[in-house]
Amino acid sequence: MDIGLLGQYLANGIILGTMYALVAVGFTLFFGVLDVIKFSHGDVLMLGAFTGFTAFLGLEFVGVTDPWVQVLVVTLVAVAGTAFIGAVIARYLVLPLKAAPPLNILLITLMLGTAIREAVRLFYPNGSNPKPFPALLPDASTDLGNFTLRADSVILVAVGLAVIVGLHLLINRTRLGLAIRAVAQDEETARIMGINYTMIVLVTFAIGSGAAAFAGIMNGLYYNEINFGMGLLLGLIGFSAAIVGGLGNLYGAILGGFLFAALQTIGAVALPFASAYKDVFAFGVVIAVMAWKPTGLIAERTSDRV
Amino acid sequence: MKTPLRKSMGAALAVAVALTTVPAVAKDTVKIAFIGPLTGGVSAQGLGGRNSAVLAVALRNQDEDAAYTYDLVSLDDECKPNVGVQVATKTAADRHVIGAITHYCSAVAMGAVDIYHKFGLPVIVWGAVLPDITYGNDYAEVHRVNGTMINQNEVAAQFMLDHGYKTWAVIHDTTDYGKGHNKYFSEFLTKGGGEILGTFGVTADQRDFTAELTKIKDLDPDVIYFGGLTPLGVRIRQQMDKLGIDAQFQGTSGIVSESFVEGVGDLAEGTVAFREGAPAEKLPGGQFFLSEYETAGYDEPAEAYGPFAFAATNLLMDAIEAVGPDRKAVTEYLADIENHESITGPISFDDHGQNTVAVITKYVVQDGTWTVWEDSAYASGDRALARP
Amino acid sequence: MSTDTQTAPRPTWLGLPPLAVGLLVVVLASAYAWLFLHAESQVVVLVLLAVAALAAVVGGRTGADRVLATAMSQHSRAMNGAIVAGLLAVIALFATDHFPLLMLTTVLLYMTAALGLNIQFGYAGMVNFAGAAFFGIGAYTAAVMTTQTGLPPLLILILGGVMAALIGFVLVIPVVRTRGHYAAVVTIAFSVLFKTFLEVNDILGGPQGLMVDSMKILGWDFNASPVLFGVEMSFYLNYALLGAALAVLAFVFTRRLERSWVGLTLDAVRLDDTASACFGIGITRAKVLAFTLGNVMVGMAGALYGMMISFIAPTSFTFSDSLLLVAIVLLGGMGSPWGTALAAFIVIVLPEKLQIIQEYRFLLFSVLVIAMLLFRPDGLLPRTVRAYIPGWRAKP
Repeated sequence: MDIGLLGQYLANGIILGTMYALVAVGFTLFFGVLDVIKFSHGDVLMLGAFTGFTAFLGLEFVGVTDPWVQVLVVTLVAVAGTAFIGAVIARYLVLPLKAAPPLNILLITLMLGTAIREAVRLFYPNGSNPKPFPALLPDASTDLGNFTLRADSVILVAVGLAVIVGLHLLINRTRLGLAIRAVAQDEETARIMGINYTMIVLVTFAIGSGAAAFAGIMNGLYYNEINFGMGLLLGLIGFSAAIVGGLGNLYGAILGGFLFAALQTIGAVALPFASAYKDVFAFGVVIAVMAWKPTGLIAERTSDRV
Repeated sequence: MKTPLRKSMGAALAVAVALTTVPAVAKDTVKIAFIGPLTGGVSAQGLGGRNSAVLAVALRNQDEDAAYTYDLVSLDDECKPNVGVQVATKTAADRHVIGAITHYCSAVAMGAVDIYHKFGLPVIVWGAVLPDITYGNDYAEVHRVNGTMINQNEVAAQFMLDHGYKTWAVIHDTTDYGKGHNKYFSEFLTKGGGEILGTFGVTADQRDFTAELTKIKDLDPDVIYFGGLTPLGVRIRQQMDKLGIDAQFQGTSGIVSESFVEGVGDLAEGTVAFREGAPAEKLPGGQFFLSEYETAGYDEPAEAYGPFAFAATNLLMDAIEAVGPDRKAVTEYLADIENHESITGPISFDDHGQNTVAVITKYVVQDGTWTVWEDSAYASGDRALARP
Repeated sequence: MSTDTQTAPRPTWLGLPPLAVGLLVVVLASAYAWLFLHAESQVVVLVLLAVAALAAVVGGRTGADRVLATAMSQHSRAMNGAIVAGLLAVIALFATDHFPLLMLTTVLLYMTAALGLNIQFGYAGMVNFAGAAFFGIGAYTAAVMTTQTGLPPLLILILGGVMAALIGFVLVIPVVRTRGHYAAVVTIAFSVLFKTFLEVNDILGGPQGLMVDSMKILGWDFNASPVLFGVEMSFYLNYALLGAALAVLAFVFTRRLERSWVGLTLDAVRLDDTASACFGIGITRAKVLAFTLGNVMVGMAGALYGMMISFIAPTSFTFSDSLLLVAIVLLGGMGSPWGTALAAFIVIVLPEKLQIIQEYRFLLFSVLVIAMLLFRPDGLLPRTVRAYIPGWRAKP
């Protein structure tokens, strides 16, 4: 195998890993604050992509055609809209079930995911078919032998990583982040310290959903195709990535995301037998990793165990 | 509750209702059923087929010469065999249902044919392509208007070889649809002297194909053959461009849909694919179907297999018109169908109930529409496929 | 402690003693199930749904639910007998109707599987998102055994459970070592892996699936319609009766398990494993036991389901089918067998009844489940904390 090809695999893996990591980061946030599995995360991502797509159609309609303006507006509308929806979900579906067993939140978000997915399929015009997401980023490319590097891929990875770093700074360096971490560690103590618990939960869900919308837009810009079912597998992989990496810190999500991308790429390319087994391979490795490191690759620091 | 109910009827069904309520001489009502995937991943195809069947029934009920009024029951099989068996039992056990137009997904049809046989319900398959559905059993009740993937791939392999292509890379989804296509295409291709450099199975919900495509780029085939449905086809064609692969893209009946062209945009130009059945737009009846479908104002397009659902529904109603609403009589009538007029061309069933004159039409995308090969600028030599 | 409950005044409802109320509820519930399985038009389904919601609200307001609970705990034998009789009565009423029997049997088998998961979720506190995979293992075992070997089908039913347990052992190390969300990901991974493997690998039929032979007991073919009193019954009657037997067995077993020391051990492990370990409870052993018992039940249900459906393919055992099973457990209320029974009926029959609104049915179904959870956040019939000791078989 020549160097160009190796570079190509690496570049593909990095883009894929960035996307998985962005989804995984959302999961880590929800776990941290509420200790719940939010199964609608993937479908919220899809909703973000469709919001962005609608914004794009709106811009075309009013005659804004500059791609940079379009990208900016599409991203802003999608992130803001989805963040708002995330907060609404937290307020009306997740918080009312706080006293119930945590797994019941899993059930309600699972059903919510189905409802979102089916609603987009049925009520978005011709929603049961894939939609062509516009390629708004410059597609200039350089060829180095077998290696094709495109400008849009580079931009997407750079911005994606910047968002993850930004989230990391937000959690670890700001007062808001401090409050989120306080709630995550001990809800009651945080309340006593004067932290508005409800507000923090809403804000966390808004941030997580916003990140999902961003991942959705990124997905759309990269694959130039969105559909109502795109969130299913992404949600599943994002969830697995967050867990395998280890909850409780964002590095785990990033590590998990890139690990998963690597496994899939290796599975498709390097397995001696048919490449169709690559998902069997990837999930098999996940099971093995969990047997080896039961609390994820970057173990959670637990202080509340007796 | 009110809203979804009303909406579910929708503009489309409103037409049907309006048509059936036209006062006429009291006719007996005959119940027939449509089964297909109305929810989930392949629901676009299922809804297109459902609408086409509804349209056929609505038009027939409008016809004053028809001996009966038809009542169509539509059921969702979710493209899952266990649900399919459930709705098949529901339909077949209901003695008022005289016949059914059933299944888009092959695995579902495989599970359900036993039920139809057991209960003696005549059915006409409108979309499932697995050969075993008709050839894997001796059930007199099971018929199929669309062709099997065998015919399709035989023509596809020959056509591509005739155009001078030598090497292929195959991507197929791991459902029965993709795996079956891979099997038959590879068989016919190697027999004809083509070479397959690599075969890649992918899951039906995969989004990223860069790993597979990068490997294909290294193999450098003349053609990338894709056996699967539209959503995957769109993604693969898009990502081929991302990686700078300039091989010819060849698909199966699963991507002959407007949404493929819409989804891929300009890149669709020059994509070739094959589908059983004469092109609807070239037959007088086909034009009629397309314009009626347009007029009825459905939310979803008819998709590739809509015309087959329409033809199957009409065939079933013709049978009932001819021999009356009796399952046995309809089954016997269908056994002898020979050169029966339909919008997909004449229908003749062989002794397994398989439509034998399934014409295979070759399509190429030209200027954003699926064009019949013989009419295209590619056939006349004005344009050329990639790497001929 | 037991004397307290005996001397406490017995609650009544509309002047009726608990047992009368209990029997009345069983009769009404059976009649309701019969009506609901029969309902075909939008109006009837709608009215029946409204009646159920109304009954739940009125029952809660007037205290009927507490009287019913008293009846269940103080007259458990009579009540259990009445419920089984009610189930058999519904089956008998449908004896010639194929479709309602198929639905009813599906409910019973999913209930059996969900009861198995309940041992894992509700008692041991282990999450299992691979329910459909173990269900599928049972069904595939049945397919291979019935077509390739001459083993008696009743034995194959048990083998289905054994296979599920054996394959479950592969997961035992990661499942026992991990907890909470970490355990969830192990089973999710297995669920995805299982379906993809079956699809890719052609040995077990690949994506096209496999035929399953019918259940036969002593030469009695379950797929032939029995003739009773000169009337041809539905062949699903066989499966409904066997399914009912399996479900009742699973139910009794789950209740016995809950009341035994094993159940107490599992509860302790779930609530605080560190403390349990301090008291000398073998946590690993308890978890392995719960995981295996649950899988056996799921696998047996799957084997009979496969024989009834007589055709299986990988797409019937996907991750979303696992989620369906989890939904039954959670909607009913974790650890509550009665809740599981009720939720199984809702989760299986409701989407089928919503066929009348075609492509909108899953949207409406998910919204309805969300509504139910908002009204009853703990599930429909949440488990009471070991309330059985005082009233259990109290002497009159």
